[in-house]
Amino acid sequence: MGPGEILLIVACSAIVISVVISYFIRKKQGKTCCGDCSSCGGTCSCNKKSK
Amino acid sequence: MMKFALAGNPNSGKTTLFNGLTGATAHVGNWPGVTVDKREGLYKKCAEPISIVDLPGIYSLSPYTPEEVIARNFVLEENPDCVINIVDATNLERNLYLTTQLMEIDVPMVIALNMIDVVDKSGDRINEKELEQRLGLPVIRVSALKGEGLQELMERAYQASKQKRNGVTVLEDSALKHLISDITIALDGQNVQNPLFHAIKLIEQDELEVEMHKETVKMVEAFKKTFTDELFGNDFEALIADGRYKYITNNFSVVMQHKNPDRFRLTKSDRIDKALTHRIWGIPIFLGILFFIFHLTFSEDLFFLGSIFGLPELPEAWYTPEGDPINFWVLLLSCFYNGGVFSPGCIINNLWNEIIVGIPFGALQGLVEESGMQSWAIGLINNGIIDGLCGVLSFLPWILTLFCLFSILEDSGYMARVAFILDRLFRKFGLSGRAFMPMIMGFGCSVPAMINTRTLADDKERTATVRVIPFFSCGAKLPILTAIAGGIVAAYGVGNADIITYSMYVLGIVTAVISVLAMRSTTLKGETPPFIMELPAYHPPRFKSLILLLWDKAKHFIKKAFTIILASTIIIWVLTHFDFSWKLLEDDQINQSILAQLGMLFQPLFTPMGFGSQLGQFGWVFVVAAVTGLIAKENVIATFSTLAACLMAVSGLDFGNLAINAEDGIDAVRAMIQATGITVPALLSFIAFNMTTIPCFAAVATAKSELINKKTYNLTLLFWVVTSYIVGAVVYTVGSWWWTAFIWALVAALAVVVIKLYNLRRNS
Repeated sequence: MGPGEILLIVACSAIVISVVISYFIRKKQGKTCCGDCSSCGGTCSCNKKSK
Repeated sequence: MMKFALAGNPNSGKTTLFNGLTGATAHVGNWPGVTVDKREGLYKKCAEPISIVDLPGIYSLSPYTPEEVIARNFVLEENPDCVINIVDATNLERNLYLTTQLMEIDVPMVIALNMIDVVDKSGDRINEKELEQRLGLPVIRVSALKGEGLQELMERAYQASKQKRNGVTVLEDSALKHLISDITIALDGQNVQNPLFHAIKLIEQDELEVEMHKETVKMVEAFKKTFTDELFGNDFEALIADGRYKYITNNFSVVMQHKNPDRFRLTKSDRIDKALTHRIWGIPIFLGILFFIFHLTFSEDLFFLGSIFGLPELPEAWYTPEGDPINFWVLLLSCFYNGGVFSPGCIINNLWNEIIVGIPFGALQGLVEESGMQSWAIGLINNGIIDGLCGVLSFLPWILTLFCLFSILEDSGYMARVAFILDRLFRKFGLSGRAFMPMIMGFGCSVPAMINTRTLADDKERTATVRVIPFFSCGAKLPILTAIAGGIVAAYGVGNADIITYSMYVLGIVTAVISVLAMRSTTLKGETPPFIMELPAYHPPRFKSLILLLWDKAKHFIKKAFTIILASTIIIWVLTHFDFSWKLLEDDQINQSILAQLGMLFQPLFTPMGFGSQLGQFGWVFVVAAVTGLIAKENVIATFSTLAACLMAVSGLDFGNLAINAEDGIDAVRAMIQATGITVPALLSFIAFNMTTIPCFAAVATAKSELINKKTYNLTLLFWVVTSYIVGAVVYTVGSWWWTAFIWALVAALAVVVIKLYNLRRNS
């Protein structure tokens, strides 16, 4: 396995891990915002679990 | 940091002003109730940075709706340094009702006379100096839409914020003023902030005030016994409202000068409404407009000119034996025409895929091929990552075109009319027309749509609406619809992609209507609240806000593609190239992979919907795609695109390099169709299942936080699974064997009978 393949494995692992970790961080913070502000009337308040 | 609040009636232009002041791109719609919660932004062009808080639109400070409670609590409890009261100048008298209430609070305040340009254009005149003098507050002419007067507004608000201001009342009745004064003094003695406002609300028996000042209520009631009114008796709420309107009528009819004394004449909007909101033609016109939007977005035969006039396809001599255009100009021409003129959506999509995505990604794949890396690494980059990403990115222009057209409809004010038109129909199913607005937002994204249901007063109506919102196909589901519709047309040569896509959207709406009917007749039975909505005037959409909206949409889509979708394509590729003993597999060994084995395990469950066991050895790809769609709906097509190369290797099919072909998501579906032999009804059932099943993670989390309790949330998840299963099975069986339509009709009739019997039992 050459340096290209090793780099590829590291990059792919980093992408997957960062996406998974950021999901759990957002979940822990109670954020439910989808990030699509173009259709949103709630913006920053989407992040609060308010009723 | 200083904090200014924007308060005003619904649809008076608060969010437009907020965007203008802060540079934000919050969603603006030409209908009341777009903003359901407060939001903050920063204004930096003053002597010091100022935090701007956009409050939801309200008609009064009485706690009738959740928005009114949010706005009232903010102004009373967060002590803003200044309240900017946005007044719609085209509806001055009605907007001033809220102003008279805000004036009672001890907070610096300025009036932004918004939409003044519309008043000027109509030839009417508002004497803002006179208004300023009568109100005792600074009044500034602004046009939030055009960005006029914003600097002056902020400067005057900044000056006002430096001076203390005590609340004043406009109520002129001397006996009532005396009563208010007595209670104000008593509250002031108790160190209550904003005593005048609280005194008036206590007299009105405002439920929040009664709860807050339990000990003072007895004293207020004792004071009130000394007061009687000939007309209103002891109805103090009506008495105070009447007092406010009397003040407004007496003082402000002189401020407004109408060019035409007959100001109740029919406006241009009224004349348009006579046709568009017609009680019989209103709904067919809406469906026609909806179809026109889909036709402009997806049709490869604009206005059916090719079919009507029998227009020829481009000559075969212009293509190589492999089917590629012989030069760039043929490629460019084929983006606009081929046997029919393409719709604007298709033209943009073709240009995007052929030139902007196709050429650079094709070159990148070529570089990877020649890099000398091992075959698995080349496969991962080219077939896994690049094909997966291109499969999703290829739909961006269609998504943007569709949302641009929807946004034009919304900005023009037509969508508010549709809520009005549909109210009568919705009422029969147990919902009010108000529920239509979150549903329409669901076409964009289910998350804000579910949040917008907060404007529905009745909990049961709200629950029913949250449950059906995912049936209104969101932007993320659009790639599924268009790719499969395109795949059906390309593989089977039947129908038009625009008609198939439109039909599936309508199927979602019909499913929502039937579901609501079933819920509101059984578990969520209740009174349908009355629907009162102010219809905004029609106006042309603003180019800048349209561009900002599309930019936001594109940014979100691309960000999602390079994070969640990218991670998913990597995981899918890994799971399809390793078996359970973690041995690396070749492309043609895909059926031994972890993903295939798991997919095969669940494949029989999907048999009633046509994409289960009957599809044979590769049928599991549809099962896997449906499951990955639970993370993000775009994943369905990303999964097809990632797996396409492997399936082509096994099945002996070749569509060339997917990334350099136009519409590669569609080609991926063609690969699935040819490898599995899936039928058209099963493909339509697959779309229907994905449209109505559990939505993406973000929407599920929102539903959890918006629904009233955990039991309702769990039932909602069950509802989505059951509904999608039934809808998928109905579409497949009816599509495959027409005679089964009769059986399903019988089942539906039986369901209605069961519901009726259930209701009879429940009522007794």
